[in-house]
Amino acid sequence: MIQALKIALIALTIAFLQAFILQQVDMGFWLHPMPYLMLFFIIPLNFDRFSYLILGFVFGTFIDLLSGSFGTHAASCVAMVFFKHYIERRFVDFESLQLQGESYLSLHSRGWVTFFYYAISLIGIHHLVFFSLDFFSLSHLGDILLSTLVSSIGTFLLVLLYKNVFNK
Amino acid sequence: MWVIIRWIRTNAYPLLALLLFSFSFNLVLRYQLYQHSYYFNNSVAFFRGVDQARTNLTIYLGLRKENEYLKNENAQLRQQLNQKHPERYQSYDTVFRDTSLPQAQQPTYTYMPAEVVRNTTNKRDNYFYINQGTNNGIEIGMAVLSPKGIAGVVVTTSNNFSRVMSVLHSDFELTPFIPDLNLRQGVVKWEGTDARFGYLKEVNRTEDVKKGQWILSSNYSSIFPPSIPVGRVVATSKPLQQQYQQIKIAFATDFHRLHYVYCVKNHVKAEIDALNITTQP
Repeated sequence: MIQALKIALIALTIAFLQAFILQQVDMGFWLHPMPYLMLFFIIPLNFDRFSYLILGFVFGTFIDLLSGSFGTHAASCVAMVFFKHYIERRFVDFESLQLQGESYLSLHSRGWVTFFYYAISLIGIHHLVFFSLDFFSLSHLGDILLSTLVSSIGTFLLVLLYKNVFNK
Repeated sequence: MWVIIRWIRTNAYPLLALLLFSFSFNLVLRYQLYQHSYYFNNSVAFFRGVDQARTNLTIYLGLRKENEYLKNENAQLRQQLNQKHPERYQSYDTVFRDTSLPQAQQPTYTYMPAEVVRNTTNKRDNYFYINQGTNNGIEIGMAVLSPKGIAGVVVTTSNNFSRVMSVLHSDFELTPFIPDLNLRQGVVKWEGTDARFGYLKEVNRTEDVKKGQWILSSNYSSIFPPSIPVGRVVATSKPLQQQYQQIKIAFATDFHRLHYVYCVKNHVKAEIDALNITTQP
């Protein structure tokens, strides 16, 4: 219960952070970091996958509401959460994580490389869907891919920052 | 039913993801101005393209019906032409025609469309069958024309089908008319070898028949309407010992591709035949 409240508080905080600070700062054409994805990295892995999908949708819609876009964040969050299930099966050995006493994959539980692959694939999926919906045209394919690449790196660095600052 | 429910239960996770994703996507399309306009502009173009393709396809599939329709219209037009401008078809007719009489206003010929259902060209005596019979007003002795020229004469009829003696028949004979020479002489016959070519016989060697001249049906025939193409002269030869010249003609009708034909009813044929009988000794 306390953990749920904590997660909700974090979600609210990063949603407001995302909507009112990060999206208002102009960081160049291709760079749109979205560190609110860190929410999906701190939710326990034994969370029900259906609830997880709905949570992703609700959270994305919340960010959409705050930032004035309709459906782009929600769609990309849903896509990301959907693939997250299969990626976790591939990257994470959940039982050994539980034996270690951790409920989600953190930076130090399986080493940098695993976390890097895990996080960058999820962030990449999210950003690819997001920018595809944002540009919404195949003639902007180069812009979509470049934005995905640059923003994924930015988001990943911010997620790392968060993990280093708060998870110690 | 159970199979469907089980399938939904096993695939609930992707289905829920798809549902949520399509809901958000719908939101994007509906409420984001740029995406909305982009989507609707392009979807309109796309659906116009699909419409165009479908129209092309249905036009192609409807060609048969269209053909039928054109065929009927053609028959009607031919009849009207015959009715309204008899002088056009019988301009060489030297007989005075009193058009003030009501009988003269009646069309002499009625055209009825028909379709060839069986055809041979490689026998000595060739017949073809058309899908019109006595129920449709076909009678024995009616002329059959293809769109390009003469095709044959009806010899047997049943209720719904008729057997037509083709031009490619050893018994078929026709007196031709060569408009370039104003000549009505000789007999068109088929020799039994090549469906493309026939012979015009019994034309005097003094007549100046040249290659390329048209051979039409004459107005002496009580079966065929006048001025229907029979063929063109392709070769002439004048053997020294003979009175007649050898004329090879190429039939106007392509008998290999005979499909749509017209049956011609001559309304005055009975009258002419009756005259024939009474004048016989």
